[in-house]
Amino acid sequence: MSQWVIKGLRTGIKSTRYPNVAETAAGVSPGFPAETNLGGALAESLVAGCPTRALGLGPQGVEVDRRRCVHCFRCIRGAKRPLDWESGYEWARIGADGAHRDHRLGRPFGRSVHILVVDAGDCGACLNEVKQLNNPYYNMHRLGFFLTPTPRHADVMLVVGAVTEHMRHALRKAYDAMPTPKRVVAAGACALCGGVFGPSFICGSGAAEVVPVDVEVPGNPPPPLAILHGLLVAVGRRPPANGAG
Amino acid sequence: MAIELGQMAAQAQTRWPGRVRADTEQDADCAYRIECEPQALPEVCNWLFSDLGYSFGGLVVEEAARWELRYLFYGDREQGWVHVIARLSADQTRVPSVSTLIHAADWHEREAEDLFGLVFEGHPRLGDFVLHNDTWQENLTPMRRSFDDRKPAAWRTPDSDWKPRQIVEEAGAFLMPIGPIYSTATGPAHFVLETIGEDVIRAQPRLFYAYRGLEKIAQGRAAEDLLLIAERISGTSAFAHSLGACQAVERICRIEVPPRARVLRVWAAELERLRHHVGAIEGICESTGLVVAAAQAAIIEEDLLRISGALTGHRYFFGLNALGGLTIDLDDCALLHAAWQVKAAVSRLSELERMLSMSSSFLDRLEEVGNVGASDAREFGLVGPVARASGVSRDLRRAHPYLGYERVDFDVPCETEGDGYARLRVFFGEAAQSARIISAVSSSIPQGAFRAPQVSLGAGAALGWVEAPRGAALHWIRLADDGVVDRYRIITPSFANWHGFRLGAERFAFQDFPIILATFALSVHENDR
Amino acid sequence: MAALLIVILALCLAGVLLPLAVGEHRIAAIVGWLGAFASSGLLWFGGASLFAGASFHSELWTIPSLVTLTLSLDRLSALFLFIAGLVLLPGSLFAAGNLRGYLGRYSLRGFSAAYFALFAAIVLIPLSADAVSFLMLWESMSILTYLLVNFEHETQDHTRAGYLMLGVGEAGTLLVALGFLVLSGNGALEFAAMKTTAMSASAHARWAVFLLTFFGFGVKAGLIPVNFWLPQAYTAAPAAFVPVLAGATLNLGLYGIIRVNGVLLPAATVGPGLVALTIGSVTALLGILYATTQSDLKTLLAHSSIENAGIITAALGAALVFVASGHRAAAAIAFAAALYHMINHSVYKTLLFFGAGSIESSAGTRDIDKLGGLIRNLPLTALFFLVGALSISALPPFNGFVSEWLALQTLLQSAALKSVGVKVAFALCGAILALTAALAVTCFVKAFAMGFLGMSRSEPAAPAGERQASATAAMAMLAVLCIVLGVAPTYVIPVLDRALTPMGVEARVADALVPPFFAADAHHHELPADFVADFRALGAQLGQSVLPGRGLVVLRRGGKANPVIFAMSTSYMAIVLMLMLLVAAAVFRGVVARRRCVVRRPVWAGGIRRLLPGMTYSATGFSNPVRVIFEAVFMPTTVEDTRRTIGRHFRAVIRRTRQENHVLDRLVLDPAADAARWVANGFARMHHGFLNAYVAYGLLALTVGLLIARFS
Repeated sequence: MSQWVIKGLRTGIKSTRYPNVAETAAGVSPGFPAETNLGGALAESLVAGCPTRALGLGPQGVEVDRRRCVHCFRCIRGAKRPLDWESGYEWARIGADGAHRDHRLGRPFGRSVHILVVDAGDCGACLNEVKQLNNPYYNMHRLGFFLTPTPRHADVMLVVGAVTEHMRHALRKAYDAMPTPKRVVAAGACALCGGVFGPSFICGSGAAEVVPVDVEVPGNPPPPLAILHGLLVAVGRRPPANGAG
Repeated sequence: MAIELGQMAAQAQTRWPGRVRADTEQDADCAYRIECEPQALPEVCNWLFSDLGYSFGGLVVEEAARWELRYLFYGDREQGWVHVIARLSADQTRVPSVSTLIHAADWHEREAEDLFGLVFEGHPRLGDFVLHNDTWQENLTPMRRSFDDRKPAAWRTPDSDWKPRQIVEEAGAFLMPIGPIYSTATGPAHFVLETIGEDVIRAQPRLFYAYRGLEKIAQGRAAEDLLLIAERISGTSAFAHSLGACQAVERICRIEVPPRARVLRVWAAELERLRHHVGAIEGICESTGLVVAAAQAAIIEEDLLRISGALTGHRYFFGLNALGGLTIDLDDCALLHAAWQVKAAVSRLSELERMLSMSSSFLDRLEEVGNVGASDAREFGLVGPVARASGVSRDLRRAHPYLGYERVDFDVPCETEGDGYARLRVFFGEAAQSARIISAVSSSIPQGAFRAPQVSLGAGAALGWVEAPRGAALHWIRLADDGVVDRYRIITPSFANWHGFRLGAERFAFQDFPIILATFALSVHENDR
Repeated sequence: MAALLIVILALCLAGVLLPLAVGEHRIAAIVGWLGAFASSGLLWFGGASLFAGASFHSELWTIPSLVTLTLSLDRLSALFLFIAGLVLLPGSLFAAGNLRGYLGRYSLRGFSAAYFALFAAIVLIPLSADAVSFLMLWESMSILTYLLVNFEHETQDHTRAGYLMLGVGEAGTLLVALGFLVLSGNGALEFAAMKTTAMSASAHARWAVFLLTFFGFGVKAGLIPVNFWLPQAYTAAPAAFVPVLAGATLNLGLYGIIRVNGVLLPAATVGPGLVALTIGSVTALLGILYATTQSDLKTLLAHSSIENAGIITAALGAALVFVASGHRAAAAIAFAAALYHMINHSVYKTLLFFGAGSIESSAGTRDIDKLGGLIRNLPLTALFFLVGALSISALPPFNGFVSEWLALQTLLQSAALKSVGVKVAFALCGAILALTAALAVTCFVKAFAMGFLGMSRSEPAAPAGERQASATAAMAMLAVLCIVLGVAPTYVIPVLDRALTPMGVEARVADALVPPFFAADAHHHELPADFVADFRALGAQLGQSVLPGRGLVVLRRGGKANPVIFAMSTSYMAIVLMLMLLVAAAVFRGVVARRRCVVRRPVWAGGIRRLLPGMTYSATGFSNPVRVIFEAVFMPTTVEDTRRTIGRHFRAVIRRTRQENHVLDRLVLDPAADAARWVANGFARMHHGFLNAYVAYGLLALTVGLLIARFS
């Protein structure tokens, strides 16, 4: 077994230095279309081409509702006048239910946070990105985040997926089973607005229908750093994103 | 076993005179069509499956003026595809079940019964499948055209007395429920394990907690938007599924995909397969508690995700496939660079494989655990790496090449033991083959367009098939005149392999259960749709 | 004393006769009242001798040139009578309530008659002081227990269990009779006379007496390999009677072993002691193994009785070894441990059987796999059953802990012995007993948790609550006894010490066990002054002001120069545990509960809609690891796995049956039966009908007989 110890040591430190230093590696985030000062028929065709109605026309030009964006790239690829694109990953915002509460979990909970991941019916990409949080690159343990299989130990519930009819009950039960104080982080377009799937006869239009959402992390799927930012926002260790959205 | 081409039709017609009408030539889909009356279905299907050695692909139910039931079979390259078609009048909902003869059709028939309300006579396990009876009222048929999928469910009257079937009769036997929320980050699935402690006597997965009704919500959408749905059947094999959907539409509308796009598609599909298999290997290492190995695999997986993200803009290839090609052209230099990065990642993967093969405590947890025999694997219709670990080697890239796979040099790794370690070796072997394909095609990417210049949609129906990372995925698409989706049937590898999961999970101890689950590398999202 | 005895016997006679005169529905009350009075009298009778030193001796009838039928009370008998009283008093109360359930199904007249006749036999057996009356009473006890076990005679299993018990019991009686014959030597059948002649017995005769009586009495005591009747009989016996089996007749088996091998013919070599030690330890282990895997609550308790009999016998064996090797103090401790454990077993096993009876009468089943959640319907029964389960699991501060601690400490005393072989045997048996104790915890966690906690695993009509006040009172009485015997060992041991006088062990146990640290001054004659000073400095003297007098049981090893102390105080433990509980409760109430509100949520079960009773661990599932680990012992003889399928792969049913032959059946009884059959076949072959052959057999037999007569 010693070979594994040596292997582990020889691999060295891979972890990102986020949140102290911004991560700049390529391919960590799909990015979002940026609000672009554009009007007229070009803007209208872009808005009409958006399959999830994430784009809208506003006084400043094309507005982007990140919560609804599913990274279909139709507004840049093949468009006559593509929208600007912005990378980054600090996207988490305080949700509708979170605004009413103090979004800090309080000092005793901020540094050792146990997270229950509930997949309420997504496509598996969000879930896979959540799994990546445990890999050496993101290593959520260094920030005091731990995944737990039971709501009884959980401080934060991380919901992914548009809530399916079959998971609605289980999601609510899990939320009820969590001890207070508790926070809910909804990650991914599906969990925020139903994404591609909802609302329909079987899918809701997001987790907020069933549980109060404190922090919203847009993206489809949100990359690991965005989810990490969402968790840090949930425990009050990073400020939420302001501006666009 | 194999049968002379063209003779099959004659044989079928002589065996069931007047009841069966068979094509003598393959159509554009390389498929023979055998139309038969419903009562002859079980015999005809069984003849194909048992006597001629075809694999059962799946069941497509279409509701039009008449019910059309299409049983898909595929064989090796020269055997082609066979569509066995039975038609029922609209008011007739009873059809004989083929499941008692071809067990692989079991779940397909249960799904059709649950969603369409067709009754498969002789099938012993109808009811409570996709729609859980403790959530939905019985006799609800959401896949019928008359059902409005836009309305939120207002007619739920759950059966509160519903309970799982218990078939183990032994003093002290009990059900051990797991899930739907279990473990640290898993898709929603519920397992009912029957046991008297220690050993799993019967494992019964209860799935479809992530049932998003994709086949239903796809209806009435534009073909272009179909890809959004296809990508999200399973996020971890998004490219493969969107490819399946693209191929079906391209076949319907006779869209010629430019050579460059075909090669780029191979490139992306193989990178996705490689990344999926690394993820599966990580899951296996993690289930045995070998954290360093799991971390090594996770590093490789994240590297591959970043390569995908940097190259195509999205870590999971969302928004990459388009009808007739890709949405963007990939830069040749960037591709070469990426191929070089992939090569480096795979050399670390083979180092990991070497180290794992020498860790006896790790191998002890995998060897002789979760065995699936070859005949069981065939009869349950297992596909992909799981089937290939049990000696069932059929791979759609070989059997029915698409995207020019027939010109690509690669091996299909196959093992015969059928245990957890065999599955791990197949994952490693296929990952290495994918890397080989990537490096082979990277050096010879043809120049030209990355997308068919014009795409005109028309009516028709076709099957798109693709060897997804988890195995054979079939996409049956019927477009209406205006290019709007009329029927989208998705047959996924996880659906087949979840059905056979119990073969491996039973007879073993509780502590082996998560390991066996990891070696099957199943996706509930892909299964549930 | 004689008058008291006559009163007790008269009450028993009334119990036999009175039911004949009154209506069926009154009999239960009669059994309760008469039994309570008779057993109170018995407690007084035994207690008078035990505590006040009263004695009783009566020569009833002299049969010329054979025997004088004698009743005599010494302190050993008094102890057994007292224990019998302890069991029979709550037993009669419980019966008063429980018997009503039989009204209209079985005749309670028969029950009452047999019950009180047995009562009388139980009283007289320890009193009888000659072999003839002893054997007569012993025989009547066998028959009466058979009648009572077979009370629910319409069930075929019960009848078979009764016959088996009767048959094995008769064989045991025969062995005992043979043992007495060998012991009597010159023909004297009075125990007093036997004791004097026994001193000169040869080594062979001693071995013969030991083996005959050990296994003869072992039948009733439940020792391997002659206990195979016991689980069946205990299971078959009615709930009102089974405590008498476990709390009285089992003890009488042990009484016989002690009376003969401890009093009449004290062991001269370590051999018999080692046999008893080994048999006891193995009995204990097998008993608890089979108890743990049972799912019938009564059968589980029966196997657990075997386990306890084994522990008691192991301690007795250690005592015999110490007696033979001249370590009188150690022997006294070992005897005390054995007797203490016997008292404890009688008390908590009676309590647990009452609990099982209450469960059965309210839930309608004894199958733990089908029970569950009974604490909501039977809160008091649950509480008392828990006390019994904690006691039998040997957890402090309950009584089982004290006696098992003593028994294990006794085995550690083997350091004083010289023979390495004996030391090894002690160490091995100690290890077996430790394993037994651990398994006992598993077993009773299962019995309590699966019976009372969680959800009801079957869905019958809601079980009735506790309706029988007398049954509850009986259990309360025994639960209090469990605690008293647990927290006040320093008051029990001196009493046991008095009971040991007939054994002739010289050092007083009380001195060995309870050095008067608290009562005496610092200058104790057996311990160095500085040690006593150290001990006092550690705070032992605190006990004087806080606890009444003695609170600590101390066993001592090593010389005066370097005493190693093994000490245990359940009294302190009880107080400390109580204080900890109070502090915890106060902290919770005052600090935690004030700042946070307590919210009750349903059980988290992965988010499924409805957690069904069948989705929780069954009792069989709970104990399955034990079954898997000890597969070599259980060795299922047939595991049938029938799978019925539709088509090739749709499974309609997976039916698995598993049959285990008890390890004794496999290793001892079946071979013995085969051998007997083989011999019988051999004899059958001799019966071929040729006259000359029969004449030859006769001549052969005559010759052998003459040879034996000549050389013996």
